[in-house]
Amino acid sequence: MEGIKDWEELSWEDKREERFKKWLEAPGVKFNSPEAEKAYRERVTRFIKAIKLEKPDRVPMMIPVQFLPSIYAGYNLGTVMHDYVKLKEAWLKFLNDFEADSFLPPSLALPAKVLEMIDFKLLKWPGYSLPDDAPSYQFVEGEYMPPEEYDALIDDPADYLQRYFLPRAAGVFKPFSKLARLTPFVAIPVGYVGQFADPEIQKAYQTLFEASQECMKWAMALGEISQIGLVSGYPNIWGGMSQAPFDMVGDFLRGTRGIMMDIFQRPDKLQAAMARLTPIAISEAVNSANASGCPIIFIPLHKGTGGFMSNKQFEEFYWPTFKEVMMGLIDEGLVPLPFAEGNYEPRLEIIKDLPRSSTLWWFEHMDMAKAKKILGHTCIAGNVPVTMMVTGKPAEVKERCRQLIETCSPGGGYILTAGAWMDVGNHENLRAMMAAAKEYGKY
Amino acid sequence: MNGLPENWENLSWQEKREERFKRWLNPPDVKFVSPEAEKLYKERVTRLIKAIKIEEPDRVPVFLPTGNFPAFWGGSSFRELMYDYKKGHDIWKKFMVEFGDMDIFSGPAFIPCGPIAEAIPSVTQKLPGLGLPEDAPMNQFVEGEYMMADEYDLLMMDPTDYNMRVMLPRTTPFFEPFKRMPPMRSFFGNYWMMALTDPGVRKVFETLLSLTDEQLKWQMAGMEINNYFRAHGYPALWGGGIMVGAPFDHFADALRGTRGIVMDMYRQPKKLHEAMERYLQWTIESSIKNFPMSASPICMMPLHKGDDTFMSDKQFAEFYWPGLRAVFMAMINEGLVPMPFAEGRYNNRLKQIADTPKSGVVWWFDQTDMKEAKKTIGDICCIAGNVPSSVVMTGTAAQVKEICRKLIEDCGPGGGFILAGGAHVDKGDIIDNLRAMMYAAKEYGVYKK
Repeated sequence: MEGIKDWEELSWEDKREERFKKWLEAPGVKFNSPEAEKAYRERVTRFIKAIKLEKPDRVPMMIPVQFLPSIYAGYNLGTVMHDYVKLKEAWLKFLNDFEADSFLPPSLALPAKVLEMIDFKLLKWPGYSLPDDAPSYQFVEGEYMPPEEYDALIDDPADYLQRYFLPRAAGVFKPFSKLARLTPFVAIPVGYVGQFADPEIQKAYQTLFEASQECMKWAMALGEISQIGLVSGYPNIWGGMSQAPFDMVGDFLRGTRGIMMDIFQRPDKLQAAMARLTPIAISEAVNSANASGCPIIFIPLHKGTGGFMSNKQFEEFYWPTFKEVMMGLIDEGLVPLPFAEGNYEPRLEIIKDLPRSSTLWWFEHMDMAKAKKILGHTCIAGNVPVTMMVTGKPAEVKERCRQLIETCSPGGGYILTAGAWMDVGNHENLRAMMAAAKEYGKY
Repeated sequence: MNGLPENWENLSWQEKREERFKRWLNPPDVKFVSPEAEKLYKERVTRLIKAIKIEEPDRVPVFLPTGNFPAFWGGSSFRELMYDYKKGHDIWKKFMVEFGDMDIFSGPAFIPCGPIAEAIPSVTQKLPGLGLPEDAPMNQFVEGEYMMADEYDLLMMDPTDYNMRVMLPRTTPFFEPFKRMPPMRSFFGNYWMMALTDPGVRKVFETLLSLTDEQLKWQMAGMEINNYFRAHGYPALWGGGIMVGAPFDHFADALRGTRGIVMDMYRQPKKLHEAMERYLQWTIESSIKNFPMSASPICMMPLHKGDDTFMSDKQFAEFYWPGLRAVFMAMINEGLVPMPFAEGRYNNRLKQIADTPKSGVVWWFDQTDMKEAKKTIGDICCIAGNVPSSVVMTGTAAQVKEICRKLIEDCGPGGGFILAGGAHVDKGDIIDNLRAMMYAAKEYGVYKK
């Protein structure tokens, strides 16, 4: 991390202390009021203590909301993806109306115009390829990388992404498949200029220029929303994102069918590809955390969940490189926040093999008492069912929160939240969750 | 699209080479100006092909060391020709007529497009008027430690990302904004979007797009002159485009510098080997495999750090030769003819470099003992060389002719010899000395039937 003497020499705990300090101090942030500043420090301290398995003043609450603010403000996701003024209005209204310990800026409410301009094929989104009122986008999995291209990926990932993957993932990049590989001979400029003479490549860049201008508008709106959240005293708890290498290959490149075949038909190639992506996943997360100032790295997990593979396969294919990514983050003083979508109960005995207090596990379907027992040396978060958050009554939610706090909070190391995000449904349930944290979560 | 026959994969290397030779001999893209020109063209190419295959042609072929000499001869300069493509070509055309019979015609070499070189200045190359005096007769490569000793892993982990964000900004200040780009790793493609919101990065791409017209003009001019010579009966020796060196030289010349690479040979030989192996695979995959049909199958390969004095035979055997040989083999397997230019001396290396398929490689020597070369590798490789540049520049025509006679006597027997200079000559009152080489070949180099 910049500005810290002998960074490489520090232990991971010391590095993390430095990062926590920066998160807590929020250098350069001009808070709205002394109260906002005080509240910010209290909230961050609450999370830090929970992560370190110390007792905070009370159980912190991570508000389980992704796109709900659009609906709460009377719009929908499709609308705010098109209109950044409404995007900002919606998120600020939500920020203003709900008390919570954290605030999630709409970084996944992607700019629809940009997606359209670049003819993006990995997502479907409301108002374009989903109904106008769809509450979330839809990821479109596919076999974007045929099996014979493993070697090209392993050999030169950035080249592969640029010339093979992106041309399939978005129409605008199609001509990139004609680009020459960027060799170190680039010192001879003529060779580099030559390829830009292709009219299709020129057009691709023109489109990208226009799309990037549009993207800039969105990024500025997003930046303003994040900044307002911060100066109002609400910490960002996503300093960056990462993935398990198995999911990088499975979600984006090979698809579920492809990768499951690969487990049997070309396990060595799959392992080699994951090994190649591991340091990349680490460095990307470290860079984004350095930029954001928040040390928590969100890691959504997909194909390792119970039901997708056996424990034996999990131990052979999923866990080793995933653990390496997390250890790489931990060694840099970061806190992995794996979001275990689906059911991770069968994996508990395997995933407990991480340093004490190094990780923050967020569970969806999980026997939290069992998780607390087996993962007692790590902070856990979860897991009011999303069904209850969406359709249940506030009293039910509050009662479930009480039970969770009773089960998971003793000794610290617990963050109250739902099993996933609610995008629609009774927003009063969010207030009930906050009330429970305050009423039952005091240490 | 690449002009290769459909059964290419199934052909032996000799068969592939025959296909390429055939194309060299009967270029479909050339319309000869006269039956006489066509006849001469075919005679000249046949002469070269026979020499390469270590058969006896009608006489020893000559590869004149003309380099960019015609520019000087025509009262112009390297610098002027960087900007005035047409003027350069007029001079070369005049030279062609004035000089008369030649076995090979060398067009302007390594003269880059001036406006582009100016817009994208390179730290690694100085040019006349751009870092060198305006009247400098050629470009100057600037070696340096562009890749640091601890960056091998970074390079190997994600080479294109490294080249783009680390190497380009170091070697070409124009790409400085690329330093600020995020790593090229996002599966979502928003990488490009966010990168292009940076005005500096955007400017880079806008400038690149704006230079393409000039680039096309330059490229068309080059193609035009090449076709012109061939239409007049003069074959080109270089096949166009492909220029691959020894993997060791790549790391020594372009990335680590001489000092750096020598340290690496002692301090981190494994990393160096690993990186050279990776580079070799990249080169084969992206530059050699399925190389399209081109004006000639001969590939010019300048060699640097494998010279007698740069390293020991043992080091040559460990670090230099295996990679270079692998590049040769990859080219040979594509039917191409690697023609390494061994700058400096290769006397100590002759035994080692003999380990290639018969007639697969043409060695062009600078200061190597040609008699020894003929003795050691003459049965395996065609050799070319090596009238010293000093004699071509300062000697008399008689001296040049005598040296040629001796070379032909030593190296001509049995075929497999191309009379050439030890290096190219760029200026001086040398036209008679160049002619003397042609006379010598015709007088002493005729094979008896």
